[in-house]
Amino acid sequence: MEGTSTFSFVVQQMVNGISLGAVYALIAVGFALVFNVLKFSNFSHGGVIGISAYVGFLGALHLHLPLLPTLLLGTLAGGVVASVVEFLAFRSIRKKRGQLVYFFVTSVTMLMLLEQVLVIFFGASFFTYPQLIRTTSFTVGGVSISILYILMMVCAAVAFAVLAWALRYTKVGIAIRAASNDLTTTNLMGVNVDFIVLATFFVSGLLAGLSGVLLGMAYTLYPQIGQLVVKGFIASVLGGLGSLTGAAMGALALGIVEVFLITVMGAGLSPAVIFVLMVVFLLVRPQGFAGVSFKEKA
Amino acid sequence: MLAVKDLHVAYGRIEALHDISLSVPGGKIISVIGSNGAGKTTLLNTISGLIRPRSGQVTLDGRPLPAAAHLTVAAGIVQVPEGRKVFSSLTVDENLTMGAYLSRRADAARTRQEVYAMFPILKQRAGQAAGTLSGGEQQMLAIGRGLMSLPKVMLLDEPSLGLAPKIVKQVFELIQEINRRGVTIVLVEQNARKALAVADHAYVLENGHIVLEGTGAELASNPRVEAAYLGVQAAEA
Ligand SMILES: Nc1ncnc2c1ncn2[C@@H]1O[C@H](COP(=O)(O)OP(=O)(O)OP(=O)(O)O)[C@@H](O)[C@H]1O
Ligand SMILES: [Mg+2]
Repeated sequence: MEGTSTFSFVVQQMVNGISLGAVYALIAVGFALVFNVLKFSNFSHGGVIGISAYVGFLGALHLHLPLLPTLLLGTLAGGVVASVVEFLAFRSIRKKRGQLVYFFVTSVTMLMLLEQVLVIFFGASFFTYPQLIRTTSFTVGGVSISILYILMMVCAAVAFAVLAWALRYTKVGIAIRAASNDLTTTNLMGVNVDFIVLATFFVSGLLAGLSGVLLGMAYTLYPQIGQLVVKGFIASVLGGLGSLTGAAMGALALGIVEVFLITVMGAGLSPAVIFVLMVVFLLVRPQGFAGVSFKEKA
Repeated sequence: MLAVKDLHVAYGRIEALHDISLSVPGGKIISVIGSNGAGKTTLLNTISGLIRPRSGQVTLDGRPLPAAAHLTVAAGIVQVPEGRKVFSSLTVDENLTMGAYLSRRADAARTRQEVYAMFPILKQRAGQAAGTLSGGEQQMLAIGRGLMSLPKVMLLDEPSLGLAPKIVKQVFELIQEINRRGVTIVLVEQNARKALAVADHAYVLENGHIVLEGTGAELASNPRVEAAYLGVQAAEA
C-alpha cells in the first residue's frame, strides 16, 4: 500500500474490500440459498467451509494438485459434506415438521461437530496452503492488486454466473427457486422435495467449499476457520434475508466497510463497530438492501 | 374413478375428518361444499398425499394412491391449492414450467401452447413475475399450471375465493370447459350456489362429517342447504 494521495488510498481500500467482499459473497449466497428454502439460519455452513478448506489443503499438499484442481476438489468436497449434513441432521427434523428453532440449534451443533472433526485429525495447530499462486501484485496507478485478490474476484464472478444460469434455465434450478417461494406447493407440482432440499444443500455446499479454499489460501488454516460463516450471516441479513442478490450486495458492502474500519481503527475494534452499524442499518431499513421483508421468517 | 373410503384424518389428537366416503366417477364434476373449518382443504390435501390419514383409503381406478404428494401428481391427480399459491417470484412462464415438472419435454411444449391459447392474458404476461398479476389472473395461472401436468383429475380448492363476481363467473365457465376436455373435477367451495350449479354430484361437509349428498340440483333445492348455504348468498346475488 504505497498509495500517496488520498484518492489512491481510497481506491486501494476499495479493491481490497471488494476482493474480501467477493469471498464473503460466496459464503453469504450459499447461506441464503438454504435459508430461502427452509427459512432457518444454517450455521453448519461454517463447518462445511472448514472441512473443505482442509480437503483442498490436503489435495494441494499431498497430491500436489495445482490451483484449479485444488479449487475444484474443495468445492466438490463442500457439496458432498453439505449433502451429508442435510441427510443426517436436517432431514428427520423436516419429516417430523419440527420447529425452526430445532433446525437452528442443530445447525450450530453441526458447526461445532465439524470443527471437532478437524481438531481430532489436525490438532489445534495452524497450517498454511502450499504456494499455489505467485505472490506478486500488479500495480496500476499507485494501486496494487495481488494475484490472490484477482483470484477471489474471478472465482466469485464465475461461480455466480454459473449459479445464475442454473437457477434460471435448469429444471432443478427453477424448482429450487419455486421451493424458496413455497415448499408445499412445489411438492404439489410433482416435485420430490426431499431431492430439491438435498440439491439446495449441495449447491450451497459447493459455494461453501469454494469459499473455504479461498479463505484457506488467504489466511492460515485453523479448525475454527469456518466461523467466518458469521460474515455470510451478517451479509445476508444486510442484504435482506430471502434475496440472493441482496446477500451478495450485503457481502460486498461488508467487505468494503470492514477493510476501511480495519485500516482506520485496527482489527480489534472493527467487529464490534460492524455489529453496531448492522443494527443501526436494520433499524433504518429492516428489509435490507434488496427490500424483501423477512417478518414472517425466523 | 377416484374413490375415498372410510377416511379419518387428524391433526395431532384432534380429528378433522370423520369417516368420509365419496366417489368421483371419471369425467364428472363433483362439488364438496362446506363453511370455514369444515375440513375441505384437509380432504383435498389428504387425497393429494400431503397429509397421511389415520385410517381409510383413497383409490384411483381401484389402485391405492401413493403416500407422497409428488407421486400423486405422477398418478394423474393435481391440486390447484386454496389461495392460488402461484410462485410469486417466478415468471408466469416459469410457473407453467413447474406445473410440467414431470412431463416429457414435447408434452410440456404442446400443453404450454394450449394453456396460452386458453388464457391469452397469461401469454401477454409470460415474462412477468407471477406475484405482480391480479387475483383473477393468478387464479387463471394456478389453473393453467395445474393443467400442465396433463391430469386425469383436478382438485380445486375454493377457486372463487376473493374474486369479483365477474371473474368468479369466468372461473366457473373455465372449470366446465376443462371438464368438457375430459378432466375429472373435484371442486371444494364455500360459494355453494355456483358450486352446486356446475356439479354432477355434490356433498355437504359439516365439521368433518358428510351430512348430505345428491345431484347438484337436488342439493340446491334442499331446504337445509338453502337455509345454511344459499340464504346469505341469495341475498348477496
Ligand atoms: N395444520 C393444521 N393443524 C391443526 N389443525 C388444523 C390444521 N389445518 C386445519 N386444521 C383444523 O382442521 C379443521 C379443518 O380445516 P380445513 O382447513 O380443512 O377447513 P376448510 O374447510 O378448508 O376451511 P376454509 O373454508 O376456511 O378453508 C379446522 O378445525 C382447522 O382448524
Ligand atoms: Mg380450506
